[in-house]
Amino acid sequence: MESKLTRGDLDALAQVYSLDPAAVESMLELSGVRPARAARLQFLASSLRYGGVLSLAAALVFFVAANWSKVAVFGRFALLELLLLLFVALAFARPPPRFIGRGALFLAFITTGALLALFGQTYQTGADVYELFLTWALLGLPFAIAGQWGVTSAAWVVVLDTALTLFCGWNPRGGILWAVFDGSRFTVTEAILAAAALNLLLWIAAERLALRAVPGWVCRLLLSCAFGFVTWAGVIGVMDGDSAGMNGIAIGGAALAMLAVGAYAARQRRDIYPLAVVLGSLVIVVMCWIPEAIHNDEATFFVMALWLIGASTIGGRVLTLLTRQWRTERAA
Amino acid sequence: MTAVRQLVETLRARGIISADAPPAPEPLDERPWFLALLLGFAGWLAGIFVLVFLGLVFNPDSTTAILAIGLALSGAAWGMYFADRNAVFVDQLALAFSIAGQLALAWATLKDVNSMLLVAATLFGLQCLVFAVMPNKTARTIAAFFACIAWTFVVRSSLRPGSSADLFFDDNGDAKIPPLGEWTVLVGWLLTWLPLIALLVWLLRTESRWMASNLRAFARPAITGLLLGLALSGIATEPVTMLLFGLQSLGIRFSWYALFPLLSIALAVFAAYCAFGLRSFGLVGVAVFAALVHLARFYYLYGTTLLWKSLIMLVVGVALFAAAAALQARARETA
Repeated sequence: MESKLTRGDLDALAQVYSLDPAAVESMLELSGVRPARAARLQFLASSLRYGGVLSLAAALVFFVAANWSKVAVFGRFALLELLLLLFVALAFARPPPRFIGRGALFLAFITTGALLALFGQTYQTGADVYELFLTWALLGLPFAIAGQWGVTSAAWVVVLDTALTLFCGWNPRGGILWAVFDGSRFTVTEAILAAAALNLLLWIAAERLALRAVPGWVCRLLLSCAFGFVTWAGVIGVMDGDSAGMNGIAIGGAALAMLAVGAYAARQRRDIYPLAVVLGSLVIVVMCWIPEAIHNDEATFFVMALWLIGASTIGGRVLTLLTRQWRTERAA
Repeated sequence: MTAVRQLVETLRARGIISADAPPAPEPLDERPWFLALLLGFAGWLAGIFVLVFLGLVFNPDSTTAILAIGLALSGAAWGMYFADRNAVFVDQLALAFSIAGQLALAWATLKDVNSMLLVAATLFGLQCLVFAVMPNKTARTIAAFFACIAWTFVVRSSLRPGSSADLFFDDNGDAKIPPLGEWTVLVGWLLTWLPLIALLVWLLRTESRWMASNLRAFARPAITGLLLGLALSGIATEPVTMLLFGLQSLGIRFSWYALFPLLSIALAVFAAYCAFGLRSFGLVGVAVFAALVHLARFYYLYGTTLLWKSLIMLVVGVALFAAAAALQARARETA
């Protein structure tokens, strides 16, 4: 029997039918909720292999960060470049979806970042940190696509969003992105909204194309990153945080993103994660608005508590019901 | 036909439940993990706001007044959970009251206490009490998780008697030798985690026994709390000043202490393995996230040179591949 059952379902059955331990044991076996020994070993082996790849990646990053003086600059570059070639050659010899190919391309992606970091560390280029991450994301994109592996895609998303966060948060003047977002023409709010839009577009593309390289959990990561920026814009808007008077645009942009994603998810009737993210974002933005609107400490904390309890109760109830309804529709 | 009904029919056909037993109940409205996380966080934050609000309104200045507020809030939370056993309508309000009540009780009992051991032991006791008394799965899960964190501090402060975070470092930022000797570091780790691992393994092994009794209402949230505790509590075992990314500790000479975050990663992987056994992929995700946080701690917090760390990770990576290959072969044999 395919296991769509949760432990909660089985607990309820054990209670309703007053099952004894032997009957519960039979139910656990029949329901298929207990992975077989082979499946457990397989999971553990996969976890260790993933851990092995991540450990090698960490070793590489730590080595570059150590800036070991006993190896000359030429030697350090040569080592990383040779490793990059080795990983690419490995990926060609054992291409994805085989694990060796996937792991090699993940390590090639990490090595690309390490090489860029070493370049900046050695020549003190004066580039902002966001530029390192952005260049890494751009140069590493072929590896992320070719890897056909969620882990590499997720690492790419994290690198891209780190670049965007650093760009929007530190607001540096200069570098690649300021060729577009020049300080006199665009404000930080618009940069944040652009970052949100980019993530949302990537999410929609990933959902529609259903690529092997971007499994469901990476789609959710993209959406979470998008709503990190949406919430940021919303909070700036409601807290009157844009010095250039763009608060209305910040609130409008955030509201539009929430409505668009909410409508898309409601139309798809597949996954409530987007609606949960919208709910979380809305709860935070409104919570930040309350102290701006009420200038009395007691009332502020009372209303904030009330809002959190009320919004999460209603939102949680609606989303729980939708989960059941959509699951039933899918089963039918 | 839903999976629950299908299972009930199978149980009926096999004679495990009687032929005239009532039809299958409707499947539970279980919340997905991310929704439970969102609601739990909202309830926790609301609890803090409730307490601040009450503090501003009543301005309690005596221990008795704070204690009275704590007892009233906890009592109200218990009443709401008890009255609405399905926890559909008032669970968020009850959770907020419960958190606020616990904070007030902790405030009242600990505001004049300087001993870390006493603080940690009291909070551990309080979480155990909440776990035992509150008739709600979410409240018990949160209590079990917080109890794990409190337990780590109970063990630590037992082996390093004193009152604050400077127990761990001297004025130069160097690691202090524990008063009872260096051996207590490893013993402390074992004392912290072995009982939690043993409890978790025992609960998993006796699942069918407690599922057949009312203990299921306690054991299920205890398992979730323990898994969260094993994966995440390692972060809390750092000295208070070094929680998360305490960059000020860079360069501290720690020698073999540097291996401890790797042990935390091993705990997180163990938690992921157990969560897989329960088919709880949300918990698997939390454990993987925790492992990555521990790796970041390894990079930032411990002053063994980065070169040594690089070498350690290289050796670990190779060892993991070897272990994976051995397991893979065993999995093939078993299949």
